[in-house]
Amino acid sequence: MFKNYIKTAYRSLYKNKGFTAINILGLALGLATCLLIVFYVVDELSYDRYNTKASRIFRVNEDLKLGENNVQYAVAMPPLAKTLKAEYPYVEDAVRLKNAGSFHVKKGDANIIESKMVYADASIFNVFTLLMISGSSSSALVEPNSVVINETIAKKYFKNTNAIGKIMTFNNNWNLKVTGIIHDVPKQSHFNYDFFISMSTVPDSKSNEWLRSDYSTYVLLKEAKDHTKLAASFPAFLQKFSGAQMQSELGQSIAQFEKGGSHFRLNLTALTDIHLNSNLSGELGPNSTTQYVYIFSAIALFILLIACVNFMNLSTARSSNRAKEVGVRKVMGSSRKHLIFQFLAESILITFVATVIAIVAAVILLPFFNQLSGKEIVLTVDSLKWLVPSLLAIVLVIGSLAGSYPAFFLSAFQPIDVLKGKLSAGFKGGGLRSFLVVFQFFVSILLIIGTLVIYNQLNFIQTKNLGYNRSQVLVVKNLGELNQQTNVFKQALAELPGVKETTMTGFLPTNGWRNTRIYFKDATYDQKKSLFPQSWQVDADYIPTMDMKMAQGRNFSKDMQTDSSAVIINEAAAKFLGFADPINKTVYQSLGGDRKGTTPNVKECHIVGVVKDFHFNSLREKIDPIVLTYGQNPGALAIRVSTSNITGLMGQIKDKWNSLSPGIQIDYSFMDQDFDASYRSEQRIGRIFVIFTALAIIIACLGLFGLAAYAAEQRTKEIGIRKVLGADVSVIVAMLSKDFIKLVCIAIVTASPFAWFVMNKWLQDFAYRVTIHWWVIAAAGVGALLIAFVTISFQSIKAALANPVKSLRSE
Amino acid sequence: MIKITNLEKFYRTEEVETIALNKLSMHVNTGEFVAIMGPSGCGKSTLLNILGMLDDPDEGSYVFNEIEVAHFNERKRADLRKHNIGFVFQSFNLIDELTVFENVELPLIYTGVPTAERVKRVEEVLDKMQIMHRRNHYPQQLSGGQQQRVAIARAVVNKPKLILADEPTGNLDSSNGNDVMELLTDLNEQGTTIIMVTHSEHDARYSHRIIRLLDGQTVMENIMV
Repeated sequence: MFKNYIKTAYRSLYKNKGFTAINILGLALGLATCLLIVFYVVDELSYDRYNTKASRIFRVNEDLKLGENNVQYAVAMPPLAKTLKAEYPYVEDAVRLKNAGSFHVKKGDANIIESKMVYADASIFNVFTLLMISGSSSSALVEPNSVVINETIAKKYFKNTNAIGKIMTFNNNWNLKVTGIIHDVPKQSHFNYDFFISMSTVPDSKSNEWLRSDYSTYVLLKEAKDHTKLAASFPAFLQKFSGAQMQSELGQSIAQFEKGGSHFRLNLTALTDIHLNSNLSGELGPNSTTQYVYIFSAIALFILLIACVNFMNLSTARSSNRAKEVGVRKVMGSSRKHLIFQFLAESILITFVATVIAIVAAVILLPFFNQLSGKEIVLTVDSLKWLVPSLLAIVLVIGSLAGSYPAFFLSAFQPIDVLKGKLSAGFKGGGLRSFLVVFQFFVSILLIIGTLVIYNQLNFIQTKNLGYNRSQVLVVKNLGELNQQTNVFKQALAELPGVKETTMTGFLPTNGWRNTRIYFKDATYDQKKSLFPQSWQVDADYIPTMDMKMAQGRNFSKDMQTDSSAVIINEAAAKFLGFADPINKTVYQSLGGDRKGTTPNVKECHIVGVVKDFHFNSLREKIDPIVLTYGQNPGALAIRVSTSNITGLMGQIKDKWNSLSPGIQIDYSFMDQDFDASYRSEQRIGRIFVIFTALAIIIACLGLFGLAAYAAEQRTKEIGIRKVLGADVSVIVAMLSKDFIKLVCIAIVTASPFAWFVMNKWLQDFAYRVTIHWWVIAAAGVGALLIAFVTISFQSIKAALANPVKSLRSE
Repeated sequence: MIKITNLEKFYRTEEVETIALNKLSMHVNTGEFVAIMGPSGCGKSTLLNILGMLDDPDEGSYVFNEIEVAHFNERKRADLRKHNIGFVFQSFNLIDELTVFENVELPLIYTGVPTAERVKRVEEVLDKMQIMHRRNHYPQQLSGGQQQRVAIARAVVNKPKLILADEPTGNLDSSNGNDVMELLTDLNEQGTTIIMVTHSEHDARYSHRIIRLLDGQTVMENIMV
């Protein structure tokens, strides 16, 4: 009996090759897309879970509020880790990490820049699951000047992983001993380093300062549930350990500090929450957000739904052609149960075939998807463990859902009605199918509008006037390598034709250093009137080189002796300070350290100018107050060039560099590229969105194509009669298209406000954003209509052009 | 074998109620070959559908093999039908996706006959209908006469007691039509009861008795000699 079902199913599918292909390919395409997105989401959710103790690891964050400024730091105080471990028995271990920046590492005669370096406490291997290939995980990072490297680096520098005891030379003058080799840190980790240098190497790591935070600090608890206990003990803990320093530096107790509306607190973030839910100051690397996980999951679900709807629509449409088979089978003695089973089995079988095709397609497309999404997803045997059962479940669920309508509907036919052909004319399955078509286009329009808004916003970011000019600016990043000769280099470059301006500072609007300081508005040193701005040390060439504009006052000047205490503030800071005319007003920069009696340690600064606001954070954030101070900072050299021969100029700059710093490569980048890099994730999302939207539309159109074909087929006789009676092609095309176009219109009307609402929510994340214009919605609507119309026209024109004699005879 | 009494069947549309069968009574004995004739719309097909238990009457009694079936539910009717009745249609109603052999096999599958037995019986009946050489062809590859032979083969493969034929020669030329009538006569002579609806006086002459219907009522019965 089962064989008979399969046989009928196969032959019936084979006979309607076109329908079958649309049906199976549509579903396979949807499933494949869905699979890729699921891989992406699973990858995002799996961050840091490679740690066997993941559930017991927490990061300690600092929450600092000073006056109106509230900043959350992902870093904490230098002595915190060891003190927590000593103080609380349920803290099993603690570890600190501190980004080490980049070094030139010697390999033979060459020096190679390595930037994935971190200082780490010896306890790192007890807290995190970083497995040693060789070396002792308990002692590898105890001694100063020891380094643990990963497998890739070991092979790169020593050609094998047998490098214990070997010496690596950093920056030509610093020798470190390799004490351990670990497997590469998994990609799904919120930090990703190649070199782990012993923390004991850094003298500052032994600092006992409790008012400064710059160490990423993690605790390993004996039991995960102890984290509430630990969090609850923080206020008393801070009182005990930082109270005295607070008193001597700020002249206040913690209670007084809090009374003034400020606060200084610690809190915990679970390790597994860091990648998706933490975006604080001082993260070890860029994290993701749950927002995209939700958005992509929703898209995957939508695409799967669209594909399923297609599958159902086409199956039910086609099944009416099998009414005769149902009738005959019933007359021959088939029970209803048999027929239900037959249709369900058939549908599940087709779904199974589609799923197999989808898996193959997903595996083939995975490398392209990785490129697109910037991920490195690989399928392992482990992933099959959840993949196979969930795919089987999908096959059963979609198969039964799609098959249930024909199964229950057709099997209920009265055989004589069917055999007399009473049903095939009347069976249009109107309501449900129309609803499903509306749903598909609802989703498609939602995605089209979403894509348009994202692209508008990206374009807005890229073309927005940022308050400085990022094009044609070259940034030499490792200026520090020149030691005393930075000024010589700057001078030499200034003389090159093609170089317009140069400025020496690490504080650049894109990818530069950041530094915050406290400024008091007046000599009362009232905390409530304090400003907590970015405080950047720049030279007199900074503003012209960056092409920033002054709103008031003047730039720093080399000729003004008093400029050593001069500051330039931005408009945001001016607004915050509330001076009617800020020029020549005094502000007091807090220098930290112990108080002199009742007055804090401050430096008096006078404001000489106000620079127009410029963007130095992501456009997601508002422009913060900023104070520029005058001085020399050798962090980087920014060079504004003006030449068509950039390679020629680069050659000259490199020559100058090499003459001053033999053996070390110049490390440079262009400011506009740095800027683009900081929006890479948005651009990536934009691209992924476009592709998914296109896929969703293609799948929806496949369904519409099939349905239109079916509708035309159903009405062949009607079309024939109308043509005999004198209707022309255009009338017939309009008649056949009308029903579908109506459905698409309903979808446009319902989807537009919804899309507008959702995308407005997304835009709220950007402090600087586009508004959604009516034409975006109109374009999406017209686009969807056009696509739908073209799809339907293929079928309706074909039907309308057919010879009526033929179509009448076919009845 | 069949006894119907005061059988009534109405068709209702929104405003009009049409009487298809109007207090019709008749009986058919085992082994008889009965032809039902009458103009279009007289209720012939409705009667045949009720006799074949594809449809149920609104009023009246239908006793089949001494069982009252007028108010059987669909499942019970289907069960009785598949063991006792074979159908032959004007438009053959073969399943296009199945071969000749598979079409004929279908009733045996639904009555749960084991595979080996099925093959034997299908081959037997195909042989008898002289279409054995066409066993692996699909219906569209056959002529109308051949398709009707397959349909008859399918109707008799389960050895039903009753065959209901609805204008079995309606879509055939006269030569093929005669062949089909010969086949039915042979079956009848071997003991199968046959009830046939027809428009053709020529075909009706093959039967033992003609029942003529008009407006859902029996108007005349001719006993053939």
